[in-house]
Amino acid sequence: MKMAPHTLLIVDDEAGIRTVLSILLADMGHRVCCAETGDQALEILTDAHPSIVLTDIKMPGMDGVSLLREIKRTHPDVEVIMMTGHGDMDLAVKSLKYLATDFITKPISAEALEVAIARADERISLRNQLRAYTENLELLVAEKSRKLVEAERMAAFGEAVAGLAHTIKNISGGLTGGAFVLEKGIELHHDQYLKQGWTMIKGNVEKLVTLSLDLLNYGKSSEIHPAWCHPNQPAQEIFDMMLPQAQSLGIWLELSLSDELPQVYLDSEAISRCLLNLIGNAIDACLDGPDSPGAAQVRKVTIRTLTAQGWAAVYQIEDTGAGMDNETRQKIFQGFFSTKGSRGTGIGLMTTKKTVEKHHGRIDVISEKGKGTIFNIFLPDISTPGLDKLQERPTTTQRFSA
Amino acid sequence: MAIKQILIVDDELDMRIFLSTVLETSGYRPITCQNGRDGITKARSIKPDIILLDVMMPGEGGVNMYRALKTDPELRSIPVIMITAVGHDSFSHYLNMLNAGLPHPMASPANYLQKPIDPNTLLAALQHAFSTVRSDGDSSREA
Repeated sequence: MKMAPHTLLIVDDEAGIRTVLSILLADMGHRVCCAETGDQALEILTDAHPSIVLTDIKMPGMDGVSLLREIKRTHPDVEVIMMTGHGDMDLAVKSLKYLATDFITKPISAEALEVAIARADERISLRNQLRAYTENLELLVAEKSRKLVEAERMAAFGEAVAGLAHTIKNISGGLTGGAFVLEKGIELHHDQYLKQGWTMIKGNVEKLVTLSLDLLNYGKSSEIHPAWCHPNQPAQEIFDMMLPQAQSLGIWLELSLSDELPQVYLDSEAISRCLLNLIGNAIDACLDGPDSPGAAQVRKVTIRTLTAQGWAAVYQIEDTGAGMDNETRQKIFQGFFSTKGSRGTGIGLMTTKKTVEKHHGRIDVISEKGKGTIFNIFLPDISTPGLDKLQERPTTTQRFSA
Repeated sequence: MAIKQILIVDDELDMRIFLSTVLETSGYRPITCQNGRDGITKARSIKPDIILLDVMMPGEGGVNMYRALKTDPELRSIPVIMITAVGHDSFSHYLNMLNAGLPHPMASPANYLQKPIDPNTLLAALQHAFSTVRSDGDSSREA
């Protein structure tokens, strides 16, 4: 068998054996060095770095098994072949337990020696291959992990783009349809077509404006600029802003502010946008309400600020609108999912959730089909922004009293 | 020949207006409904010549209305053109699933139209459906 030349160390107290083995091994193409004792062998081991050691078992001073154990302790990669005389079988077996490569019995034949060295050689090359594979594997794992993370990011991005594309396709469909109706109106001097076509175009342009604003807000929500602020302030502002719209739609808008709240470290503009989103949704839910059986008689949206154990402030938006079933409730925070058909962009609530999370807060929803919906925004007592421990907040259980 | 009546069932106002305008300006009489339940009632009362049905509608959706139409002896011969947003694969798959449990499988729709709908494609689909009805008398009769 062809093998790479090795450096071999022969350890034997008998000079004759050392000489014979040296000649045999040199003939096989190996480099050979010799030691008379175990101690000498350990010294040479450090200097000459042999890959294979051939040692007699019975030697004065340190015996072969002790040498084997020492070599395996300090140089575990060195292959050790034991040479035994007749009647040393117990020791030979014992040496295998201490990880000897093989043992050959004296008198040593060239064939037995060659077989033992070939086995040692095989073990050495296997170990080298394994080491190379392991190093390669680590590189491979690092590379694959990087690619997976990238793929996941691309998948999320792709999903977002697909959602957006669907929304835009709906709007452009509406615009094209509107244009068709409008053109028929012009062509046929048909007043109703003119009006309907124009209304469709206006409505879809409005959707486009909403979509771009929503996207802009989503972009903004990745960064917040908090300052000390009373939590009632954004609630009051948004209430004042939404009241005329709610009234014109026949919806009772109510504000209930807690006077026990402390100043909270928050981005009042971002929180205002969240409240605007939730109140807008609540109003839409009320408008959709009467279609579902058992809807409340009074269409009402209530904005509350509340105290809660473990939190600095809670905003609560409650409506008596259409409500949601379980399945819908689980999807509402996903991007590009909308309960409003083509009216919604599926971005608003996703943005609100992101903003709340940027505040290390929580948002939850309690809803029942046909009865109404409650959204809660919990804001933490935070004076040093970015404190990670604030993310571990007690969770409140979801209850609905109907 | 009498003006053909076409029942449009779609939850979106824009779609109803657009489809109505296309049909009306091409000599048909469109009748519109917002949901499947009203759609069935309307189909029974007016017996339209053809039905344009949106697959994706909130609530009971277009699938349920299709089933109601095709399992009603009085209505099942009316050709139905399905309007879809994402091609017809998911609807035909669903139809196959429903049919698996039925002793008399429902007929497939006369046609599918994918949004956004091109007026000419819609008119061609209608003409094709009518010509099929004329030739064999009942396009959606069970096999």
